[in-house]
Amino acid sequence: MSYNVLIVDDSRSMRKVIWKILRLLGFDLGECLEASNGQEALDILEGKWIDLILADVNMPVMDGVGFIRSMREKNICMDTPVIFITTEANEERLNQLMDLGASGYIRKPFRPEEMGAFLSRIMGETDGFRMGTSVEGSDF
Amino acid sequence: MVLEWEPVLKEVISEILETMFFAMVEFQDCGRGDGRFDYESEIELQKHEGRIAISLQLTEEFARMLTAGFLGIDENQVKDEDLQDCMKELVNMIGGGYHARINDGAWELGIPRVWKIGADSTHRAQAAVRLDFSFFEEPAGSAVLSYLPG
Repeated sequence: MSYNVLIVDDSRSMRKVIWKILRLLGFDLGECLEASNGQEALDILEGKWIDLILADVNMPVMDGVGFIRSMREKNICMDTPVIFITTEANEERLNQLMDLGASGYIRKPFRPEEMGAFLSRIMGETDGFRMGTSVEGSDF
Repeated sequence: MVLEWEPVLKEVISEILETMFFAMVEFQDCGRGDGRFDYESEIELQKHEGRIAISLQLTEEFARMLTAGFLGIDENQVKDEDLQDCMKELVNMIGGGYHARINDGAWELGIPRVWKIGADSTHRAQAAVRLDFSFFEEPAGSAVLSYLPG
């Protein structure tokens, strides 16, 4: 089974890096969708089924807090795990994200294997997420 | 409160470059370096008492190498927009790392900016004490932290 993933980040480079890490980790990707802020992401979620959302916090137009709050208020993808990948260090803001239903957060900088362990925990060992691909020895 | 910024920034920059950009740099003693750099990115931490601006300047060669390492592509495939985007991401991570070490929730991290250094923008950097670093003994970049009260 493959999974539709949405990456929300205003950095095009960071979006590319996250896709690359997901592939290295052996994540079975279905549709790969991108948004550069929370509002764009909400527009995508209105018409698509998404299995996993990986989002930044500090973004122009609509930040990560506004994004997850709007998801909850509009009842969109309530069961979809939302993981924040962020430089945010403000504990209050991170707690706010968790209170709004985020599945967790990964602080940058991070190693691919840290992200793999985190995703395993959140997604579980399913067909779509097998840690079969070793990050060690890869060209990452 | 602003920490003794030089050792903190050294630690933050080293950790980020090694973890996500696969580069190890060596820091020189702080001073008014005379290195010429090509790109500058900046991020601010703000609260009502003032703001902290962290500025990073890099040579094009080093920025290109970092971008290639970050994206996993050859240096000759690096486009200028990728390079500038990576420099924003790098200074964003540096700002976040510094913020984490300040451990004061009142500071808010801003949105990073990047630009190509022109004749006018080098003037400001030369006026400040800089944290210069090299890559394989070649000048690679410089970081500056400024505290602006009020």
